Formats: sequence, structure tokens, C-alpha cells
Amino acid sequence: MGLDIQKSILVDVSANSQKDIFKLISNEAVNKGYANDSNLLMEALINRENEGTTGMMDGFAIPHAKSNTIKIPALIIFKLTNGVEWNSMDGKKINFVISLLIPEEEKGTTHLQLLSKVARLLMKEEVKNLLKEAKSELEIEAILTKYIDK
Amino acid sequence: MSKFTIVAATGCPTGIAHTYMAQEALEQAAKKAGVQIKVETHGQIGVENTLTTQEIKDADVVIIAADKDVHAERFEGKRIIDVSVSKGIKDADNLIQDAINGKGKLRTVTSQNNEKVNNSNNERENDKTSIGRLIYKHLMNGVSHMLPFVVSGGVLVAISFLWGIFSADPTNAQYNEFAATLNQIGGLAMGLMVPILSAYIAESIAQRPGLVVGFVGGLVANNGGTGFLGGIVSGFVAGYTILLLSRILKGMPKSLDGLKAIFLYPVIGVFVTGLLMVAISQPMEAVNIGMIDFLAGFQNSNPVLLGLIVGCMSAFDMGGPINKAAYVTGTALLAQGNPYFMAGVSAACIAPPLITGFSVLFFGKYYDKEERNSGLVNFILGSTHITEGAIPFAAKDPLRVIPTLMLGSSIAAILTYMFKVQVPAPHGGFLVLPVVTNGLLWVVAILVGSIIGGLVLGSIRKYSMEKLKSAVEKI
Repeated sequence: MGLDIQKSILVDVSANSQKDIFKLISNEAVNKGYANDSNLLMEALINRENEGTTGMMDGFAIPHAKSNTIKIPALIIFKLTNGVEWNSMDGKKINFVISLLIPEEEKGTTHLQLLSKVARLLMKEEVKNLLKEAKSELEIEAILTKYIDK
Repeated sequence: MSKFTIVAATGCPTGIAHTYMAQEALEQAAKKAGVQIKVETHGQIGVENTLTTQEIKDADVVIIAADKDVHAERFEGKRIIDVSVSKGIKDADNLIQDAINGKGKLRTVTSQNNEKVNNSNNERENDKTSIGRLIYKHLMNGVSHMLPFVVSGGVLVAISFLWGIFSADPTNAQYNEFAATLNQIGGLAMGLMVPILSAYIAESIAQRPGLVVGFVGGLVANNGGTGFLGGIVSGFVAGYTILLLSRILKGMPKSLDGLKAIFLYPVIGVFVTGLLMVAISQPMEAVNIGMIDFLAGFQNSNPVLLGLIVGCMSAFDMGGPINKAAYVTGTALLAQGNPYFMAGVSAACIAPPLITGFSVLFFGKYYDKEERNSGLVNFILGSTHITEGAIPFAAKDPLRVIPTLMLGSSIAAILTYMFKVQVPAPHGGFLVLPVVTNGLLWVVAILVGSIIGGLVLGSIRKYSMEKLKSAVEKI
């Protein structure tokens, strides 16, 4: 199925804190037309974070939100220039953020399955290593596209 | 169809990421360890890769890595390793090793009570459920299984009274064969109440081996006249006897597991628990007689004191030795031509179910659906003097509920004595109103006591639910 979903990938993003990143995600989502209100989206991301950390292992975080303000399922990916504290599972700082945005009333399963698959990919050593090495937006997209169908 | 050594279920609140990451982690770890695994996911899209009954049956062990309900009741009787979803992601290798090495707990999970608030921040706290919560869980399991016995039995007995409160007595003019049969069937169902309570408390503690031991212990307690409080004691004694036995017998070779399950646990468990319950029941008759003597001495004292004593006794154990003492004294004095005393006893026996009824009526949103329904049925049971209707409520939280019932019953009894009500019948509740002197005042007395009790009970419930809620939110 490929990476057939609305997405925005950015490399060399610099941020000082988790909150900065939530703000960047929210603004990007509104700019790209994925969401209506950046404040509401930010709130939803923070709420999900409070339920349990989305900081995984090896520097990857998957902040996600399900909210009314999200219009279409989408993927926002940031590769950071520096590590950010995220209370992650292995305590390491985060330098790769893959954010999953889910509308409150998502009827179809295709996009949800796709987002879940992206999350699953982050458990594969191979994929994690490739993503860490990736230098450009296109490279990241190519890696995800390749593995999503595997 | 291939068989899986391990079956697992994963789930998280949003159901989009962690659920599947845990699945991936467990699958990878199993592959590395060379074992077959099937992982069911509870995500936003619904349940996928669903485990069949046969697959669950064939598996050696179940891993649950979830922060939400994954219908764990399907895994009853299996060895279960139950962790949060983040542990499933982070420690998948260790979990698989634990699974292979025979770790995990055999346990039953009551479906309604499975509100796990697992969270990565407070994993440690959740791994050890607090003792209070554990006791509550065991009580709940007993009560929810007991409830249908109380309702079915109580309602059938209440219906039999429609033919007259003596309709089951062949020597009485009101005798009706059908009513007598209803009364008998209802009586049998209600008679199972205490054994069932005991059996399922024990089952919650020690799973299936606990069931038989708890049941027999409960029967012994019931026949010994200990009432439902004895049933609670016997349930815990039975459950922990089995747990103790399993610890003592731990050293036995695995090949003798079958012998343990069908012979050693039931025989030794029933023997030990039975004897203990006989010993505990022994003094009950003495308590009963002592209380009767005690009470008889007060029959002419002032209405407030008498009402307080009668109210507290009737509502204390609802069918146990202390309640029976009040009731027996009432009927004895009735036979001697004193209809005043019985009026207070009846009021105090009618009030407890009504208190629970008013409590769910006024504070419905703090009760679950099952409780709301049984609270409403209690209006019928209370009105027909079937005090047992209140037992499911009391058994869940005895330390708070029983004093409240005693308060409401005391108010009802005190007012009844002050109004000089005369009740010439020993049973029947409001059905005997036509023969009651000052009947209207009697109803008023009972309603006042029940409504006050209901308000107090509801407020306590509200307070404890809100406390629970804020505790959960803090996490």
C-alpha cells in the first residue's frame, strides 16, 4: 500500500523541549491543513503524553493524538539536530519524532492500519538504523515506503 | 492448524501505536527464542488477529501487555503474565523468557473489576495491587455470584406472600399449595446465598480449587447459623487454605499435579476449612441465646433505648445470630401477647433493603448498573420483610454499609416504638398492614429511617467514588 497518507517530513529541525516540538507539530498540522486548531491539537498531544510516555527506545518518539480538531489522518516526521528530553522508555534523549494524527471520527481502517504499521516499523532494528542515517526528506520517505509493504 | 506455545494480547488507550509496537516486540522476541507466539491486538480498528478458544486452550502461557481491558476472563485457569503495554515493548525478551521459564500467575480475572490503571509511570505500584483492593475484589466476586440467588429466591418468597403470609403453612387457613411451592423454591435459592458467597470469594482467591472448599465451608457456616458474615469468613479461610496448601505441596513432582487437583486440594481443603468453620460456628448458638436473654431484659425500657438496640441487632448481621435473636425474641413476646415489640423488629428488618433502594434511587450515578437494578428490586424485598436483600450491598463493604444500615434501622425502630405501633404478625412486611394498629405511622417510621439511611449510604458511596476518581486522575 505504500506510504499513501498525508504527510510532512522535515529534517534538521531544532527544538529545545518536548513542548517546543508539540508546538511545531501543531503549527505544521494547521499549515498543511491536517488540523483546524493548533492549540487544541497541542492539548491533545499533551493529554496523550500524560497517559504514558511516547518516548520509545533508541531516540525515537511517537507523539500521537486523536482529536476532533484533526481533519484527516496524517503523519508528521521531524529529524532533530539535537537530542530532546522525553522521559523515554530507555531514558535516552529523542532525536527522531514520528507523530501520528488521528481524527476523532475516523471511519475507514486503511489509514489507521497504515499509522499502526509505521509505529511497528520503529521496533525493527534495521529500520531504526536506516532512519538514523537518513539525511533528507526523500530518503526518510523512501525507507518507510520500502518497509511498510514488507 | 498450528499450535502456539504462547498467546498474547496487547492494547493501549489510543490503540494506534503502542498496541502494535508491543505486538512486534513480542513476535520478534519469540522468534529469537524459538517459540511459537500469536499476538492479538486491541487497537483503534478493533480486535485483530483474534485468538480462538482452541488456541488459548492449547497455549502453555498467556502474556497480557495492555493498559486496557483485553477480556482477560477468557484466560481463566491459564498461567498469565500480566504487564503494562510499555513493558511489553521494552522488555519483550525478558517476558518471553519468563513465559518459557514457567513464571506468571494462575489467576481468575473478574470481568467487571478489571479496571487496570497500568501506566508506565506507576508500573511498580500496579504490580502489587493494594491489599484493600484485593479484598474488595474477592468480596465483589462472591457478591456478584450471590446476587441472583438473593433476587430470585427473595422475589419468589415475596410473591408467595400474596396468598397470605402463612400461605406456606399447611396447618393455616391461608395455605395454598402453589404458594407453598413458590415459598419452598424461593427458600432453597435464598438458602444457597451464603454458600455461594463463600464459594466465589474462595474462587477469587484460589481459583477453581477454592470453589469446592469455599462452598462446603459456606454450607457449614450457614448451617451453624453464622449468617453472611460467617460466609465471608469461610470464603477467605477456604481461599487462603488452598493457597497455603499449594505452597506446602510445591515440592511435589509435576507428574503428581493431577493428584493434587482432584484429590489433595479438595480433600485436605474441605477437611481443614470445614473443621475451622465448625469451630467458629460453635459459639453462635451461645451468642444467639445470650442476645435473646439480653434483649428480653429490655422489653419494657424506654422506646429510644429499645429501638436503638433492636435496630442495631436486626441490621447487624441480617440473618445471623444477632438478627435472629431479635427476631426470635419478637415472635416469643408476640406469642405472650406483646405486639409492640415485634413492630420494632419488623421495622428494623424491613429498613435495610429499603435503605439500599433509596440510596441507589438518590445516588444512582455512583452505582453500577447491576447495583442500581438490585437496589430497585430491594424495594420489593424490603416491603415484604426480606432483609437478606441488603446483604449483597453489605457484603461488598461491611465496615461502612453495616453501621449505616444499623443507623437507619434504629431510627425506624425507635419511631415505631414511639408511635406505639402494634404488629400482630411475625413476617410479611407491608403485606400485613391491614392488621397493623397505627399502620400509617408504622410506614412513616420505616420510610423516615430508610430515607435517612439511604441518604447517608449514598453520601458515603459518593465520597468514596470521588476519592477513587481523583486517585485515578492523579496517576
